[in-house]
Amino acid sequence: MRIHCNHLTYRYPATSLYVFKDLDFNISEPGFHALFGPSGVGKTTLARLLAGKENDHSGALRTEAVSRILYSYNTERLPGWASVGMHLAGVTREGQKNRLEELETVFGLTEHLDSRFGQLSMGQQNRVNLARYLVQDFDLLIMDESLANVDEATREKIILCIKRIFPGKLFLYISHNVAEVARFCREILVLRGVRRSPQAISIHGQDQTSDDRSDAAELERTMLEIVHAS
Amino acid sequence: MLHKRLYQFLIVYLIGLSVLLGFKYGLSLSDYVIPGVPMIWKAAEGASGRYVADTLNTLGVAVVGHMISIFLATVVGILGRRRSWAGSMIRAAAYNIQAYPIVAVAPIIFILLGDGPVSRLLIAAMICYFPLLLSFMGIFSEPVKDIEHFFNATGRMNWRLQVKIRAFENMRKLTTVIVGSATMAMVGTIVAEFIAAANGIGYSIRIALYQSDLAKILVALFYIGIFTSLYLFCLEWAGFRIEKRFETPKEGRG
Repeated sequence: MRIHCNHLTYRYPATSLYVFKDLDFNISEPGFHALFGPSGVGKTTLARLLAGKENDHSGALRTEAVSRILYSYNTERLPGWASVGMHLAGVTREGQKNRLEELETVFGLTEHLDSRFGQLSMGQQNRVNLARYLVQDFDLLIMDESLANVDEATREKIILCIKRIFPGKLFLYISHNVAEVARFCREILVLRGVRRSPQAISIHGQDQTSDDRSDAAELERTMLEIVHAS
Repeated sequence: MLHKRLYQFLIVYLIGLSVLLGFKYGLSLSDYVIPGVPMIWKAAEGASGRYVADTLNTLGVAVVGHMISIFLATVVGILGRRRSWAGSMIRAAAYNIQAYPIVAVAPIIFILLGDGPVSRLLIAAMICYFPLLLSFMGIFSEPVKDIEHFFNATGRMNWRLQVKIRAFENMRKLTTVIVGSATMAMVGTIVAEFIAAANGIGYSIRIALYQSDLAKILVALFYIGIFTSLYLFCLEWAGFRIEKRFETPKEGRG
């Protein structure tokens, strides 16, 4: 399972503004990886290119052993005609009902299943949205600020749960939280903007799989690396 | 809602009547030009029964014509929402045809189909069909990206779901357009009757016009206003019930 990017160049249609020029990076194994960088640097554009929602780029952007890519983002909504529980049950794949129940519990959604999506807070809405993607068939799930507005403790529980349930899948988590990506992600791809070279730097994260916070010095070192790179 | 609609109409009607009477008494015009209140009252007493029946006849045709045009606009709007060449062709045809004043073809319809209810129905439906169609096509062809993305990405999207999402998200717009076009359906039917039909309140107005009887015309306008208000209220009420059924209570958001 691999994402390979070689000399990727892309600019928005009908503009002369380059988002990427000769961008290179590699993500070569499954796991929970991050896409990090300041606002406007092209994280969402790269995610959309990967998901096939944007085209007309030059250079190579290839995946290997990844046949199904899903892209979730934080402003998605559910239709308002049914309750959250009915919607989740309706979109869950055959044989995934138990997984859905587990996710509902860990994500703290159990008591909101009878509510309509519009009744939920933004954090709850993002959790519901992410849960429905996790019960689909995918090899790579791009989470574009999918845990925005969720409190830190719940975010931590959710990320650890995802890492435990899906060890063989590839995740690309877009977040602005340095501590979080440093602690939980395996590879952190720091995008730095089209004017800097290299445009992307890959940093090894702590890839923690439990809430053990013992290695604070290592975590601090990774965080500093990310901040210096960005 | 009903009393608001009726108040609105009565205010407009009474203002119009007052202006007319203001001209009459201000310029000392005769009853032949603008009738006085006693003449209008007498005309109301004499013609009300027939005019109520005529207005209901017209309203019946307008309602059926309106329903036909809503159905057609929905079907064509759904077909025209597609990005294929067929969808583009339907949209281009709709935009071009609606630019022509449909009422101008009414005489041809009367020549071909006679002065019966079919002609009135067709004209009523045609007059409110194109504005409805343009709105429906606009609504059905505009993706609700934040909702549709998931269904597209997971391969669950089909045309029924797409239409359902777009209609649901634009329920208020749809209701407004349908209510707005109801008046046009009534106008279309009256115009058709006025041109050539032998039934309905438009036909009665034509007779009153030939008799230069403004009192009867004012009585006819009164009943047209009352019954149109009632029909608009029914549509608004139906839209309100649908919205209410799916409304999301805002309390409890964290």
